[in-house]
Amino acid sequence: MNHVPAPDAFAVFGVPRALDLDAQDLEQRYLQLSRECHPDHHRSGSADDCVAVLQRAAEINDAWNVLKDPWKRARALLEAEQPGVLDANKKLDPMFLADALELAEEVAFADSDRADALTNKLRAAVDEDFAALQRDVSAKDYDGAAKKVHQSHYHRKALSDLEAKA
Amino acid sequence: MSAGAPSDQGEPNLVIGIDLGTTNSLAAVRAGKAPRVLRDQGADPLTPSMVCLHPDGRALVGHEAKALRLEHPDRTVFSVKRLIGRSVTECADDLADLPYPVVAGERDLPRVRVDDRELSPEAISAMVLSKLKETAEQALGQQVRDAVVTVPAWFDDAQRQATKDAAALAGLSCLRILNEPTAAALAYGLGGDNDGTVLVYDLGGGTFDVSILRIQDGVFRVLATAGDTHLGGDDFDQLLVTRILDSLPSQQGAEDPFVLQAVRSAAEGLKMRLSEQEEATLELDLGDRGEVALTVTRAEFEAAIAPLVQRTLDCVKAAAKDAAVELREVDDVVLVGGSTRVPLVRARLEALVGKPPHTDVDPDLAVALGAAIQADVLAGNDKSLLLLDVIPLSLGIETLGGAVQKLILRNSTIPTSVSEEFSTGVDDQTAVDLAIYQGERELAKDCRLLGRFKLSGIPPLPAGLPRVLVTFLVDADGVLRVTAREQRTGVEASIQIVPTYGLTREEVRRMMLESIENAQEDYVAREAIESRGKAEAMIRGTKKALQMAELPPDQTFAVHKAVKALQKLLDQDADPDVIKTGCDDLTKVTATIADDVISASVTKALKEEQQR
Repeated sequence: MNHVPAPDAFAVFGVPRALDLDAQDLEQRYLQLSRECHPDHHRSGSADDCVAVLQRAAEINDAWNVLKDPWKRARALLEAEQPGVLDANKKLDPMFLADALELAEEVAFADSDRADALTNKLRAAVDEDFAALQRDVSAKDYDGAAKKVHQSHYHRKALSDLEAKA
Repeated sequence: MSAGAPSDQGEPNLVIGIDLGTTNSLAAVRAGKAPRVLRDQGADPLTPSMVCLHPDGRALVGHEAKALRLEHPDRTVFSVKRLIGRSVTECADDLADLPYPVVAGERDLPRVRVDDRELSPEAISAMVLSKLKETAEQALGQQVRDAVVTVPAWFDDAQRQATKDAAALAGLSCLRILNEPTAAALAYGLGGDNDGTVLVYDLGGGTFDVSILRIQDGVFRVLATAGDTHLGGDDFDQLLVTRILDSLPSQQGAEDPFVLQAVRSAAEGLKMRLSEQEEATLELDLGDRGEVALTVTRAEFEAAIAPLVQRTLDCVKAAAKDAAVELREVDDVVLVGGSTRVPLVRARLEALVGKPPHTDVDPDLAVALGAAIQADVLAGNDKSLLLLDVIPLSLGIETLGGAVQKLILRNSTIPTSVSEEFSTGVDDQTAVDLAIYQGERELAKDCRLLGRFKLSGIPPLPAGLPRVLVTFLVDADGVLRVTAREQRTGVEASIQIVPTYGLTREEVRRMMLESIENAQEDYVAREAIESRGKAEAMIRGTKKALQMAELPPDQTFAVHKAVKALQKLLDQDADPDVIKTGCDDLTKVTATIADDVISASVTKALKEEQQR
């Protein structure tokens, strides 16, 4: 079974392929698109029209799901700019992986006193990952950006594990 | 024209909303701005979801049935919502509490047995729905054909389908299965004064749901939903039932349906009084079966139910996490379901969210009123409102080793779709089996099998070469649609769903025909169903045959044209006679194509379709 990539979320929304999209504008756009095209408002059309509306509404919802999350948005942007780039850059620097492993252990054994400091540290790391990603995307270094996406995965995982513990 | 669409005369279509509850049901309608409850003149708007199969052969529904439950506990059926769309094994715990007999029928499906009759939960629900339909028709002075029916958000695909089937058996076309908390939010947010983030806490008789929504300019967007299909006010009652039974002089009470039913009613009353006062006393005279006198304090009751209430709060937290909403960001809390009258429930929820619940919406009526609003939207009468709901449980596919790979995650906004590519494992393989599961667990055995799909018609090629693109689309009803196409040849692989729960399509059809047979005026309706069925089978069969046979373009065109003409008649809901003529016309077109290939394949394809 192979996953088939979804349609380009930026194209579905008709917005520029960029990382820094305004969250409120995006939400307004989503509501507007949904109002224009939803099966509940197009029930009287022919069967073919209904299927087309249904498919388009699914595309809008799925694109929103991607665009509203900066990291999913980044993945979609990279795949659209350079298909296959995420798969091609899965191999990470051993030094980074060693650090990530250490971090995971730290999270696993963190007591409640330590949790707050660790949370702040991880949030800062995730923010730094995103800033680095943005720099790579601006420089059109999509391979570098793909690596940042994979790296940040470890930080975000550690953060969500920590939150789950709380 | 599809059902529920505005008629050509521009007259607004009337679609009713129905809250089909575990304990009580009711119908509502929205004609104009505000929705209203449909009731018998001056009567209680709530109809007990009870059916008494009287020894004299009558089936009494609602209040009439409830009045007979002590006299005929083994013939008064209630709480079938706990059984619908499930197997006997799955609802074993519920069955132990029921005073009427339930047996395992075909495929381990529950059947209520009374005398020599066996009734499905769908058939019982259909009787309740028929009663509501009748009440609605009397109140409105016109026929009602279409409805929106609500279910707990946490209901899975099989339970939703079974509810739809029950509506069909009652002669109602179910335009939408709507989630109960979402419906309540519609009733709350109508009018536009309540834009913001709202948490709906719905504790009914048998189920618990929580949904978090965002309301913006008439768009009601569900962010997340969570719940427990097995937690409700009945469980509070059950704790009191146990307490009462323990104080009975004879320990045989639990096996005696008369005692059990009397104790159950007493427990319900006790619970209600404990919501009003600090202490309640019960004196129950069971005749020769003994007497009970006991006092329960609210503190004792609250200590007993506290773990159950905590479970609901855990669901609230889980929903907030999935919605990526902090509970302090919630602008309003809406309570639904009679069990939210229990003071401990209100207190604990208020402590968790940090604000008192909204009290303008009647917790008993909100769901039906909201269903009526969505019914009005689906009827095409109101384009200013839009509801964006989510799928409550993840959908996944079984992979090697019995693991489940998630295809669509829970709380995804619907409609939603995802595509995957499949290939074959051995040379010349022409079919692939797929098993779809619903649930959050990693292993197939821990999730619920939604259905098995057989992809067939894959062209025989060396292993791994066929590329079958399978698209899984969840529509606005939350129902999964699967389509498949082989990428190299463009052949549409066909999909067959094997239902695992509830009624098979054939059973629903048969039951509908049986119910129709009894009424002489409905001869036409039956003919309509049959002529439609035949026409639909012909269209499918001809389309399939067209793909199998290679026809010259002009003949392909002629067949397409005839198929389209017939489809149009179906879409227009034409009279059975007209549809029959359309079928004959299509037969003529396909018959004139005297090519052996096509006639052979048409015959084969038609036969296959008709055998289904």
